[in-house]
Amino acid sequence: MTYHAKTRRGATYELQRGYRRMMIPALLAVGIFAFVPLAGMFGLAFSDYHLIRGTNWDFGFKNFAKMLSDRRLMNSIYVMAALSFFGVAAQVIIGTAIAVGLQKITGKWRVGRVLFLLPYAVPHVAVALIWLSLFTPTLSPINAFFALFDVTIPAFLTSQNGAIFAIVVADTWTNFPFAMLIIMAALQGISPDLEEAAAIDGATRIKTFIFITLPLLVPALLMVTLFRFIDSLKHFPMIFVMTKGGPGRSSQATNYYAYIQTFGNENVAYGAAIAVMLFLMAALISYYVAKLNQRVTT
Amino acid sequence: MIDTSPEFRVKRSFGILMMVILLIFAMIPTLWVIILSLRTPMAIFEPIWESPLELTLSNFFKITRSNFPGALWNSFMTAGLSTAFAMLVGVPAGFALAKARLSGKFVASWVLLLLRMAPPIGFVIPLFLLYVNSGLIDTYIGLVFAYMTLTLPLVTWSMWNSFAQVPDELIEAAIMDDASLLKAFLLIALPAARPGAVAAAILAFLVAWNDFFYALIITRSDTATAPVAVMNFISYDSVDWASIAVASIALTLPILPLMAIANRYIVQSLSGAVKG
Repeated sequence: MTYHAKTRRGATYELQRGYRRMMIPALLAVGIFAFVPLAGMFGLAFSDYHLIRGTNWDFGFKNFAKMLSDRRLMNSIYVMAALSFFGVAAQVIIGTAIAVGLQKITGKWRVGRVLFLLPYAVPHVAVALIWLSLFTPTLSPINAFFALFDVTIPAFLTSQNGAIFAIVVADTWTNFPFAMLIIMAALQGISPDLEEAAAIDGATRIKTFIFITLPLLVPALLMVTLFRFIDSLKHFPMIFVMTKGGPGRSSQATNYYAYIQTFGNENVAYGAAIAVMLFLMAALISYYVAKLNQRVTT
Repeated sequence: MIDTSPEFRVKRSFGILMMVILLIFAMIPTLWVIILSLRTPMAIFEPIWESPLELTLSNFFKITRSNFPGALWNSFMTAGLSTAFAMLVGVPAGFALAKARLSGKFVASWVLLLLRMAPPIGFVIPLFLLYVNSGLIDTYIGLVFAYMTLTLPLVTWSMWNSFAQVPDELIEAAIMDDASLLKAFLLIALPAARPGAVAAAILAFLVAWNDFFYALIITRSDTATAPVAVMNFISYDSVDWASIAVASIALTLPILPLMAIANRYIVQSLSGAVKG
């Protein structure tokens, strides 16, 4: 017998120490790769650092005070809210509709679900470029198709609301399969007995869906919405590729605005302050997600 | 019980129509990019039904002479290395987090989730300044380090979930039999959580492979990854649409098999919260 088993308490102590040792590399790595940049972000946000001029070591809340009166920032928050709301809503609704529809499809047609999953595999830059081509009137087959019937599709990317619409469409195209996957898994967990019982009681299919299935999907729907919402805070490739924030500033979401302030206007400190704001929003939402996760797993 | 009432048939046709419309929405961009990649330069602005035979493979050969294949290699290297490092460090940590008796597990799960989800702009600004001053800009090491901020929290979080599903009794039995904790981890727990580990590695690789933002800011010409290099096909006066289409396909094809393996794990990685 080794010292492990000398006493039960000694063994447990040894074991717990072993576990802690296994965490050390990860703690170090997270410390270096995550907390060093994060500390830098908070430090810069309170500084006056400029990409070219450097710093005069003037620390304070100036950047945050400036945020309160920055109309471009307010505009960017409005754009972000619009992109998040319409994008997440469209993804959740379309994803759920397809998941419910696919559930009814049986037999050899089931392989068809792969076709719905394909958009999720395409990297975001490629998604943005493909939709840029589809929204370019001289190139787009959609415009050419409708021109056959003398219908002119407006040039979305050069109008204010059109630019937001175009980004929402591209974002929805690539992300609805995520919602679909999660809802499909949740649907599988719902006992068919419940729906059968409702049908025997004379409920129509639509009523069964609204009063039986939908309430059971709420946790999954909530999770999908939260995940997609956090993700929508970091909208970047689609804006960068499709609109550059334009026309004017009409599709300049906050993440993109922070990028412009930092690397375009060279106002690093102010960009970092905006990044801090986004980080705190993500912290708030992920706290809620972690709480939800904890409640279900324990 | 088969419902054949006219009312039901109308509803069912409506349902099928909706699915077909959604399928068209899902498929058009994919079909379009394939067509675009095959169009001859002369016909690229013509609708496909006007000149359906104006197709060529030359766009695929043309792109091999650009810097794009090198960029694909850069993507592959940086995504692969950052995944490997994240697995090396994150898998044992996920195991320990799942099995150790710890206070503060909730905070750990929150921090991991937050790191995984936080907008990268916050990480990128300090990293950029650090890299410019230390010569790490436009190097593999710099990019791999940056991707660790994405891959490490993802791997640790997913492996935590995977190891949580391995029964404690298995580990305890091994320890009782005088195995060291390391042995119990390598010989008992890891094989039991292997599907989860494969999934974690794939998801981490995909996150790094798909990244545009980090690469845009901390790479230049030497280590530009494929998502950034695609932008070279867009210049001020013209856009090389055919090359963009080929590049988009080249960006997607290598990860399709990975997606095929990983898609059910995407669900599982959230499963705790979704089982409801």
